[in-house]
This record gives sequence, C-alpha cells and structure tokens, in this order.
Amino acid sequence: MPTSKVGTTPSLPNFLKSLKHNDIETSIEAFISLLKRRLVRGSRPCAIATVNLLLRVVGEERIKDAHKLIERIRDVGRRLVAAQPREMAVGNVVRRVLEVVRERAEADQDAAAGSEGSTTSPTTPTELTPSSGAHALPKDLQIRAHGSAHGEKPTSNGVSDATAQRPALASTNTSYAGQAPSATSLFSILQHPTTASGGRSPYATPPGDNQSASSKSSSRRGEEAADAKGGEKLDIKAEVITGIIELQNELEDVDDEIASYALDHIHSNEIVLTHTSSQTVQKFLMTAARKRKFTVVHAEAYPNDHEATHATIVNGGRKGGDEDALGAGGDERWKPLTSMGITVILIPDSAVFALMSRINKVILAPHTVLANGSLLAGAGASTIALAAKTHHVPVVVLSGVYKLSPVYPFDTDELIEYGDPVKVVGFEEGRLVQGVDVVNPAYDWVDSDFVDLYITNLGAHAPSYLYRIIADHYRKEDTVLT
Amino acid sequence: MAPKGKKGANAAKPKQGEEEPEEPLQAVILADCYETRFNPFTLEKPRCLLTLANMPLIEYTCEMLAGSGVEQVFLYSGNHSDQVEQYLQQSRWMRDTSPFSLEIIRSTSRSVGDAMRDLDQKQLIKGDFICVYGDVVANVQLEAALTAHKARREKNKKAIMTMVLREAGDSHRTNSQHTRPCFVIDPHTQACVHYEQMKPRKSPRLEISDEVLKDHPEMEIRSDLIDCGIDICTPEVLAQWSDNFDWQMPRRGFVHGVLKDFETFQLTIHTHVLTDGYAARVRNLQTYDAISKDVVSRWSYPYCPDTNFLPDHSYKMKRGFVYKEDGVVLARSSVIGRKTVLGEATSIGDDSVVLNSVVGRRCVIGKRVKIEGAYIWDDARIGDDTVIDTAIVGNDASVGSKCSVQKGALISYGVRIADGTTVRENTRVSQLKRKRGYEEDEVVRGNTDPKVVGEGGDGFRLEFDEDEEDVFETLVAGVQDLAVDEDDSVSEFSDEEDEDEEVHHHRKTSRTESFTSIGSEESGEARQSAADFHHEAANSLFDSLQKGQDPDTIQLELKALTLATNAEGKQIRRAVAVAFSKRMAKFVETGKSAKEAASSTVSPNRLLIERCVDAASVEEQVEFLLFLQTDLVHRPQGSKLLLFASFELANNDLADADGFQGWWEAAQSSATEELKKVKVETKQVVDFLQDQDESSEEEDDEEDED
Repeated sequence: MPTSKVGTTPSLPNFLKSLKHNDIETSIEAFISLLKRRLVRGSRPCAIATVNLLLRVVGEERIKDAHKLIERIRDVGRRLVAAQPREMAVGNVVRRVLEVVRERAEADQDAAAGSEGSTTSPTTPTELTPSSGAHALPKDLQIRAHGSAHGEKPTSNGVSDATAQRPALASTNTSYAGQAPSATSLFSILQHPTTASGGRSPYATPPGDNQSASSKSSSRRGEEAADAKGGEKLDIKAEVITGIIELQNELEDVDDEIASYALDHIHSNEIVLTHTSSQTVQKFLMTAARKRKFTVVHAEAYPNDHEATHATIVNGGRKGGDEDALGAGGDERWKPLTSMGITVILIPDSAVFALMSRINKVILAPHTVLANGSLLAGAGASTIALAAKTHHVPVVVLSGVYKLSPVYPFDTDELIEYGDPVKVVGFEEGRLVQGVDVVNPAYDWVDSDFVDLYITNLGAHAPSYLYRIIADHYRKEDTVLT
Repeated sequence: MAPKGKKGANAAKPKQGEEEPEEPLQAVILADCYETRFNPFTLEKPRCLLTLANMPLIEYTCEMLAGSGVEQVFLYSGNHSDQVEQYLQQSRWMRDTSPFSLEIIRSTSRSVGDAMRDLDQKQLIKGDFICVYGDVVANVQLEAALTAHKARREKNKKAIMTMVLREAGDSHRTNSQHTRPCFVIDPHTQACVHYEQMKPRKSPRLEISDEVLKDHPEMEIRSDLIDCGIDICTPEVLAQWSDNFDWQMPRRGFVHGVLKDFETFQLTIHTHVLTDGYAARVRNLQTYDAISKDVVSRWSYPYCPDTNFLPDHSYKMKRGFVYKEDGVVLARSSVIGRKTVLGEATSIGDDSVVLNSVVGRRCVIGKRVKIEGAYIWDDARIGDDTVIDTAIVGNDASVGSKCSVQKGALISYGVRIADGTTVRENTRVSQLKRKRGYEEDEVVRGNTDPKVVGEGGDGFRLEFDEDEEDVFETLVAGVQDLAVDEDDSVSEFSDEEDEDEEVHHHRKTSRTESFTSIGSEESGEARQSAADFHHEAANSLFDSLQKGQDPDTIQLELKALTLATNAEGKQIRRAVAVAFSKRMAKFVETGKSAKEAASSTVSPNRLLIERCVDAASVEEQVEFLLFLQTDLVHRPQGSKLLLFASFELANNDLADADGFQGWWEAAQSSATEELKKVKVETKQVVDFLQDQDESSEEEDDEEDED
C-alpha cells in the first residue's frame, strides 16, 4: 500500500529500526535530533533508545583498551545530554553503561594483577599499584592507592563489593586526609581494607596504565601470560556488551519487578490516588487488583497528559504511543483496571484537594528522581503532594532505578521543561496569543519532604536512602558528564 | 490540447512515481522569495539567512523538513547564492550525518515560476514533493498531510497539489495583516475551489464563478487560514508551470490559474487545514515580528531558542521566557524583562532595561538604555541613554549615546548613528542602496546623510522604493515585473498605515506585478480582475494564434472575454500585444527569421489589431506599441522583432506615422536601458514613415464590423 507509508518520518520506532543498518554517527545525530525535536519524550523511551544506541556504539568500536572506550562513551553521552539536558534518563543510562565498563575493566585488571601475584613474587602487586597509580590518578584516588599499599589485610569479599561501589562519598574526606593517610576519618578506615582486599584495587589505575605495567611483567613472564592478557582484552568488549544487555533487560523487567511489591503496599478497600498515565503504575495496580479490591482515583494531568490518562483508563494503555511501537503494547497486559473489577474515578487536577481527605495512599510516577530524593513528575504532581502532606496521606513513588539521577538539583527551575502553550490556549485565539503569556510547564518539582516511600525495582526505600542506590549504580567521576 | 507537446511528456512522470512507493521523499526550498520586503537588510544578505530569535530562517525550514522525513532537498537560491551556499556548506545539513541530502541549485530565475520551470527541465523530481520557502517556521509533521495527499492521488490523478494551511482565528498577529488570503473550500473533498486575496478595510468581495457555485452545493469561505507556503505537489504541478510561462507566483499565478482552467483540465488543488501545531511564513517585517514573538513564547515549541538546534548555541530558559546564552554579562542593576533572548557574550550596562526583545551575540549595550520590542542582531552596539522602540538594528550597526530610535525604524548593517540623533518612525537607514536599472545584486554605497545619522554617522535614509516608484510612473510592464515579483504584493503600495502597534509592514512595495502597470491608481479588486483578464486573454489569444485559428473566431472569443470581465480597451491592447509578441518569439525559437515571424504573425491577424487599436487614435497606437515594446524586451531577438513588427504594422496601415512618432517620443518608451536598446533598430521605420507622411497622405482603411 503506497498510501499507508509516506517516507520514513523520524520517530523512535523508526530510529530503532534504522539503528542496525545506519552509520553510527548518523544514528547519534538522528537520536540527537529526535531528542531536540521532542519526538522522543518520557524517561522510558529515552532510556531504551539510549541503551540501544550505546550498544551499537560499543559494538562498533574497535577498542584498544577500556580507557578509550570510556572516553568514547562519555563523548557520546555528553552530546546526548547536551541535546536534551532535561531528559535525565539519557544521562543516567550513559552513566550506568560507563559504570559497567569501569567495573569490567577493573575486574579485568584485578584478574591480571591477581595472576601476576600468583606467578611472580608476592611483592609485585604492592609495588605496582601505588607507583603506577600515583602518576596518573586524581588526588583522592592516589591516596586510596597509597592506602592500599599501607593498608591492612582484606577482610571479606562481601564488604569489599558493597563499599567498592560507593566512591562518591569518599572524595572530600579522603583528599582531606590525604596528608596523613594512616590517621584518618572513619571513611578512610573503612576504605583501606576494601581497596586492598585480595590484592584488588577497584579504584586503581586506569587500564592503560595497568597494561603497560603488566606488559612489562609479562615480557618477563613470557608467552603464557601474554596470551592470557590478549584474551582478557577481547573479553572487555564482550563483557561490556553483556552488561549493556543486562541493562536492557532491566529496563524491560522494571515494571514487573516494581509490581511484585504491589501486594505489600495496596490493601483491600483502600482508595488510591494516582496521576497521569504511567505504565509502571498501571502494572502495579493491576498486580494488586488480582488479589484485592480497591478504588482508584485518577487525576487526569491536563493539559499535557490527559489524553494518555483517558486512554489508560479506558483501554489500559496509550493507543499508538511509543509503548505500542516498542512491542510492549497490544498484548493482554494492557487491560483497563475496570475490567478487573476495580472502580476507577477520573478527576480533574483541581479536585485533588477536595478528595484528598478520603484517599489512603497517593501513588506517583516520576519523570526523574534526583539525588536528594526530590523528584520531577508531570505538572500537577506538586499540588497532589502538597495536598497529601496536608492530609497526612502517604505518598509512594514508583520509579525504576534508571530514573534515578545522580544530579543534584541546585536550580529546580532549570530542570523544568516548558512545553507548548497551544495545549492550554488554542493558537487560533489570536487575541490571547497576542496579549497573554501562556506558560505550560511539563513537569513539577516535588521536594523529598513530600515523599514517604520510593519503590524501585530493588525494593522500597526511604527518600533519604536514595543516595545509597545512586552510589551503587553510578561512579562519582561520571556524575558530571560535560 | 494538441499544441502543448511539452505537457504530454511531463504527464507521464507522475505515473512512474506512483508505481514506486520506495521513492525518497523530495522537497524543494525556494530560498529566494524574489521580493524586496526586507530591504534594506536583503540588499546584503539573502532573506533565508536573516536570523529569527538568533537562528537563521533556513534552519527552521530545514529542521521542519527533516522532522517530516524528507530525504532529498533541492534548494533554489537566487540572490546572494554565494552566501547561502557558504552557510549551508558549513551547516550540519551538508554533513554525512545529515538526515537528507541537500543540493543547492544556483539559478538565474527571477520568480518562483522561473524556478519551477527550471526544476521541471532539470527532471530532478521523481515523485510527489514538498515545496516550501526558505523562511517557513513550522513544527508540524507533514505526515498526515502527505498521507491524505497520496490517498487523494490514488483516487484521482487530477488532484495535483495540497496546500498546507494553519487555522488561525480572526485578527491573528501571525497572519498577514494587509493582504489576507481567502480560500473557498469544498468541505467534502477539501478541494480549494476559489482563491482570492483580500485587503483589509476594503469591502470583501469574492468573484466566484457560476460553474464553481453550481458544482459545489456546499462551500466554506475561509479567511482565517495562515498560508504558510507549504505545498505538497505532484510532478504535474511542474508541468503546469512549464505550460504557463507567464505564471510567476505560486498563489496568484499558479493556484489562480489552475482553478481558472478547471473546466479545461479538471485539475484540482486541495487544502490540508492544520488545527494544531505551528506553521507560518516570515513573509514581511510584520510577520517577522509576530513569529519572533511566537518562537520566544514557545508557540512554535520545540522550535524555541532553548532547544539549541544549532550545535554552538547554549540557550537556557529562565522564568518569564527569558533565554540567555552562556557568557552573557548583565550589570547588576540592569533589568531583563519578559520574552527576551540574549545571545552569547552580549553585555548590558547598568540600569538598562531590555524587554520583549531579541538581542544577538556579542552586542554591547550601554548604561541606562531602554530597549523594548526591538530586534538587535549580532555585534551591534548601543550607546548609553539610548531608547529603542520596536525597531531592527542590523549586524555591526552602532547607535550612539542619547539616541532615540523610534517605532518601525530599520537600521541596516554597519550603519553608525551619531550621538544624540533621533531616528524617526519607519525610517530605513542603510549604507547601501540598489543601483537603478541593474540586477538586485548590484548594490552600491550611498552617500552619508548627516541629517539622518547625525554628524559623524554613517548611512543615509533609504527612501521607499526609490527606484520602484519610477516603475510606476513609467507604467512599463516587462522587465521590472520579473525582477521582484512576489506572491502577494498586489497592492501594497496602497500602503495602509498599519492599524495596530506594528509599524513594520508598511515597508515595502515591491516593484509589483505586471498588471499593476495597467493603472496604479486602480483599486485592488479592479487590478485583480485586470490581472485575471490579462492572464486569460493573453493565453487564449496565444493559444489560438498557435493553432492558426481564423482571426474572426479569435476576435469573437476575445470579445466574449472582454464583455465577461468588463475589460477596458487598454487591457485588450495589452493582451493582444503580449500575445503577438509571444507568438513571434515562438516563431523565432523554432528557427524562423524575425522578418518571417513578424509577417506571418501580424498580417494574417491584422483584424485583431484593427479591432483594438483605432487607427485614427494616436494614443491607442502609442499604447499598443508601448505594450509591444515592453513585452519584447525580454524575448529573444526582441529588437529585431520590434523592427519587423512595426514595419508590418505600418504596411497594414495599423499604425500611422503620428502613432510611431508619438511612441518614439513617449517618455515611457525609453525609460530604461533595455527599452532603449529594444527600440533603437525601429528608428528606421519611424524615420521612413515620417518622410512618407510628409509627401503622401495615405488613406486609412477601416472596416467597422462592431
């Protein structure tokens, strides 16, 4: 049918399709223009597109070493984030991928160090780590490297893994303590054993340095070790790709994982208020609806999302939206809640306060969750949170970890995107267009005080605990991409 | 239509296009609009590179096309091709990563019509394509319009074009304030059945033909539509342009012409009315102002400054639609009001107030300056204590201290306004002016006028249409028409002093279209019907002449048309003159000598000339000869043709010595270099007749058959 298809209009599904056969730079540019033209919007589509793009980037790249790969990903990430700084999910995914690369690189290098340790004299690792690290690393890392040299013996692997992934907190303290590494703060005490554990130094030298170091030793050690090293290098790429695919799977499963906590939070005969249309919330409520009967009050989020909200209530999912195109739609998962015997009441945003006294629980779906536990959500969320606070109604926020951004909101004004005033006042109203400034913010900022509980795919957390999840998932050095 | 050989060849193309749905979507950008509305700014820079909210207009257009999935773009640049090319070479549209392939076509075309005909000849267009101007600002995706267009094409091959229009209510700033397009649409088929342009404060009157009224029981008459100049065309459109080589403008020429010929060709033009999204065209300064405001207040979202489409832009939006780029230096006591855009490295001094304005990059604005509603382009300098109100200050211009720039003033590139000067309302201050009688490209430096720019300033007041006005006086059609034809300049020189606060649009006055020369004192409607008559009469006459029809039959047709449109004798003479010259030119093209051409055209059809030119009236003869002369100016071998045609006219006693003498001496006949050149050879005929006249008086043969 020539009528059905007219050219290839840029859109997310078309982009994902073209990703396979297009040149990588073209793909990046295409995604940037999609972001700029706002043809991709919302955290999930952005995250999915970014993961796919990065998968391509990594797959394409003929990496010499992990260091270069990190540079490359950072570079791409920088461009993507600059294109649309308000879609935080893009930056989050880039950081997650960077973390994957760094982790694999370090694991590799540890393995290399470990193998060296076993084949050569036991003094080698202690020689290598501090000296090579001292040249190339930022100060706080050097100190840790020093610490590892002077540090105590490893305690347990479990501890090491957990603490190894929280560099962000350490920075000021360690650099402060830099002059006297042995007499230090609580942090450095905790860190010394971990960094030194098992001869590993997770923060130690970048791979480039290590390779040169290990190649020196390998030349001494001969063929066998060299072979092992070659194999490792190949593995980095494969492992990073595996890591990205894991991330992809995480994005796919995030709703199910969050929904699995539904029964802990939604009880029989409760009245739950929610806002805008969200796949995650829908899934969550559906899961609860299988076992329990409750009532849902749905605020419509006029003017930006009300159509999607209506579609969700009537059909269970947005029609022809991005979700459909991504293959998530169409199946029986997207039944309306009413088909499960749940009473759903649609209200305008302005009625939220009046009804709040009867609500037992507010469930919000954020656009982004920020490092301090505050969040950005569709316009109207702030009103709801405020009303809930006044009535002491608990506010539960359902958010995948991918929405969790390590960015600290210094200027909340700048985070909010202002959309199209056409949705508020029609463009054909000539006099209004001329005489009135119409403002249509797409998002509201809600402070962490207003949120009682975050449910992520990892479980339920207090807002004050989010820093910890952030530290687990992102590296401090990646927080600022630009 | 036997004689239209060209058409047959072209008509075959669209069919191929349809059989291959895989074809890339093509678009044509007309980067030159063939008009002078943005003078003095367009004297130096092409219009599509003027910045709107600090981004060149062409970027908006390219973004829109990229957003619609266009894969191949042809850009027609007329004026200042070098600048356009240079800019695009460095832009992201020419890189490998560009979403479409962009080809710049340099053309010597002097109207949209010429460009379209050129495009047709080049055979670049394979299937349906989008035709836009280089100054469209739109955030719409054309997918829906394209799909509707294709669906219509499936059903009816004759649906050749879809105009994309944006619905806007009454009195909308973004709509054109002076000439307002009026579309008569059949609500069932979305076909546009009639098109006219209306002027405000004139009683609206549409002349819808009987057939149209009969064919369409239901019609919507809409003047609330913004014509954003986005057309989805089939290759058939190009063929039509080629067939009707006197069409210059896409609306008044093409749409009007096609709808007029509906009975003959059954071609239809459809409309696609957008009810959401943003689409508009920067067609004059008034719309420039309105669209800038729309962009700043985000009606064109996401095409807003803070989207940073250009890679080196870094705008951030603050509350109240204030957009600031990195490195803006604001004095602590300065006030940045609502709806303001500030470019990189611009600095604003103490106690200055900037409101509702766009300021470019690297501008230096002094202390205690008040800027409201103004557009200040890159690198401009504004001295202390100056007040600027709703004006445009061009690149590198500098305004001294304690100046006052009043509403509607335009200060062009590099102009220096000395301290303490007042630039009056609607003044155009420029360093350059167009040199008379030359192509638009050739601009020269004017002499500084201290009265306008103050002592020590640089620049002079560019009078309105200093050269264009001559054209009106001389009443000559021809060369000038082509130079600056534009879509709806029809009667701008009846220059309404704008009703609302926007003073800009009272600018311009291009050197109007052909038919304005018929009588510039005429009202708009009369002029319009005159144009219709001329178009139709000249065409049908030419067709008939081509077919070699009997002069009596032709005369009868002409007569009918004259009566139907209530045309004046002068118009008939003009139509006949144009048809004859066209016919002769055609002969010359086919290889005949000018002499043969003239004799085989004039003699057999002398009846026609007899009818419209009273051999006894010297004025009528003069007029006829003038029309003939001006039309031949741009024909090949024009001077030869004029010589032999004059000879023939004299031989057939269609014009006498007095007539020729009167013509030769008439001021209009030697108004321009070209006209002089064309007539120089005819001197011998005039002289010869003069001699003869003195010796023997010939009898005028007149057979009146009215």
